[in-house]
Amino acid sequence: MLNVNNLTVQLGGREIISSISLSVAPGKTLAVLGESGAGKSTLVGAILGLLRASSGQISWAGKPIERGKAALVMQEPRSAFNPRLPLRRSVLEPLYAGKLPDDPARLERLCKGLEIDPNMLDRLPYQVSIGQAQRAGVLRALIASPPLILFDEPLSALDAVTQKHTAKLISTLQQEEGFAALIVTHDMGYAAAHADSIAVLRSGHIEEMATAENFFRSPQSQYGQDLLNAAVSLGAIERAVI
Amino acid sequence: MAIQINGLSASRAGRLILHPTDLTLPVGGRIGLVGPSGSGKSTLCHALVDHLLAESIAVAHVPQSPDEALDPLRRLEFHWRQAERALGLSHDRERQRTLLAALGLDGRPLNVRPWEWSRGMQQRFVIALALLAPLELLILDEPTSALDPIIAAATLDLVDDHIANTDTTLLIVTHDLGLAATRAERLMVLSEGRIIEDAATEDLLSAPATAVTQSLVAHRNWAELPC
Amino acid sequence: MKKLFEIFLRAAVVLAGTALVTFTLLWYAPGDPAATIAVARFDSTVSAEIVDKIRIEAGLDAGFWPAFRHWIGPILVGDLGNSSVSGTPIWPEMRTVIALTMPLAMLGMTIGLVISIPLAILAACNQGTWIDRGAIALASLGAAIPGFWLALLLILVFAVKLSWLPAMGTGTARHLILPGLTLGLGVAASLTRILRSALLEARNAPFLPAFIRRGVGVHERALAHITPHAAIPVLTVVGLELAFLLEGAVMVEVVFARPGIGNFLIQAIQARDFPKVQAVVLLTAVLFVVVNLLIDISYHLIDPRVGTQDA
Repeated sequence: MLNVNNLTVQLGGREIISSISLSVAPGKTLAVLGESGAGKSTLVGAILGLLRASSGQISWAGKPIERGKAALVMQEPRSAFNPRLPLRRSVLEPLYAGKLPDDPARLERLCKGLEIDPNMLDRLPYQVSIGQAQRAGVLRALIASPPLILFDEPLSALDAVTQKHTAKLISTLQQEEGFAALIVTHDMGYAAAHADSIAVLRSGHIEEMATAENFFRSPQSQYGQDLLNAAVSLGAIERAVI
Repeated sequence: MAIQINGLSASRAGRLILHPTDLTLPVGGRIGLVGPSGSGKSTLCHALVDHLLAESIAVAHVPQSPDEALDPLRRLEFHWRQAERALGLSHDRERQRTLLAALGLDGRPLNVRPWEWSRGMQQRFVIALALLAPLELLILDEPTSALDPIIAAATLDLVDDHIANTDTTLLIVTHDLGLAATRAERLMVLSEGRIIEDAATEDLLSAPATAVTQSLVAHRNWAELPC
Repeated sequence: MKKLFEIFLRAAVVLAGTALVTFTLLWYAPGDPAATIAVARFDSTVSAEIVDKIRIEAGLDAGFWPAFRHWIGPILVGDLGNSSVSGTPIWPEMRTVIALTMPLAMLGMTIGLVISIPLAILAACNQGTWIDRGAIALASLGAAIPGFWLALLLILVFAVKLSWLPAMGTGTARHLILPGLTLGLGVAASLTRILRSALLEARNAPFLPAFIRRGVGVHERALAHITPHAAIPVLTVVGLELAFLLEGAVMVEVVFARPGIGNFLIQAIQARDFPKVQAVVLLTAVLFVVVNLLIDISYHLIDPRVGTQDA
């Protein structure tokens, strides 16, 4: 279980996130919602150990997060890969890095789950569509079976139909694999469809934290309400007509 | 009354990207142009604007990102006066104040360069520039993709309010059918350079005729909320 | 404002560094600097007492930092010292030769700009056509021809064969034409290529299609948008060319037998007149720093973002 306790991160003397606490259990999904500049990417960087916390603790099952225990899926799928290497090399990289054995059966199973044609993995990143590249990004994150996967705006480069399809594939795989997922996004619809709990982040602190069910029934903060209204007004979420 | 275009087409490197298309855009209508990525939306947009401009029809196009509409080296005031001159208008402080206020930018000094404003504010400034003179057609190209949802929704509401009592036709171009469906009364679906469906929003949602549209409709939004 | 202060501070640091490096080279150069000065001023049979006297006179006996202070003090108030050969003050003589070289350098720059700007615009507007290819070929040819060879060619054609212009000397405006042309053609060659590619790049700026659709005319687009964007890379090169003109002037003045900073330097080197050589080195350094300072300030005026974005 991921536990973030009173986390504060400063960058260049400015406090980017202030005293954040949250947790994600295995098999569950937490969506961190917020506008650009709210500190979402800083939170991801801190959990991955790329940024140093000025105070607070980040732990998995009570211990600090070791290398390889958390994987990241980035926003821009194609720039997340070495442009000169076939996708297969990049996708298997976490296995080499962790000195883990190749597991062709697992690769095949994951490819099937993500609807990836294994032959596609022999192409270069810019020879596949953005949607395919993003699924390869998810494959790379999953390949070494990390217990925690962080998704940083994983769908915003994709078109509306591809977004929903990809989200569904990820969700199904999560049920089979049981990883904990922390999704950083400004897309309320995505959170409404796939998250178990919601954290609303605004200028570095958590405005509201709730189960998805409670949040979408009635957000407690004004900002959460505004986000929800915007999502309805932009057609990401539909209000059922009674 | 409607804007009528016949046989609009576009090609790049000898390949036809947009097959000859007839468009009828009713005056004062709200129309959505929807299609998956790579279907030729931007190509159609550009071809349409350039065709209408050549026919001296008052049309303005707001690109996806403000970087495609503002010169980072010139101040916003310069952009404003230049647009006025290009339209043959004299500078009118009152009109400027009203228009910026309508887009929620009242009281902000314009003697700054675009990047000194947030992207949301830049996008609104570009829309305000587009609305300087009465328009027959306003095209918004992916109006939400560069913006945070709250800002995007508010911006679209402000545009709606501003053109509510005019004859301006609004064309929203997007990959997101959910967005287009909440904002437009008529939808056109573009696929592989052809308009494959063109119907009133309700009809298209309830009875999509093609597989592409069926997929768009099935994925039009993420979830339904109990009210 | 803070940015301008930074620009000036940087220039001051570079100047201080230059002074220090110049003096360090002088200090650690092989041989005894006092003896070098003595030999230069008198001859090789100079006595030890005189060398010691010079050592004390020049402040060389007190160690590196006192000697540096002794050396830099007068320079800071504009006193470049005396010639070690004639013993006369250097600055008045240098002022005279600068006044002779300055018009030559300015003429070179003007000719360079007058040729390269229209040529680059013509090439950029006709990209890929024979006009463009011709302009590039011309510029490449210009950059490949050595300056002294071009100077001799010009003398041969315009002075010897046609007898239109004087080949050497100074005095009238007519004397300036051939040397100015030699410098100017070199400048034009490198500026044309840079300016052309800067214009082509600026013309592809992502925001320009929107300005066309907004009804902004072709002339206004060129003047108000393409020019400032193209100016940024070109400014650097114009500034550096301006400083390099000094170097070019040395060669041109020798070939055309014109008095000026070039001949001043050559004569100083031949006479081993180190204070004079050092004065030219310092002048060059100051020129480079001032030109860079001007470039930085114009950058700041055109695009305040330049150099302010941190990683």
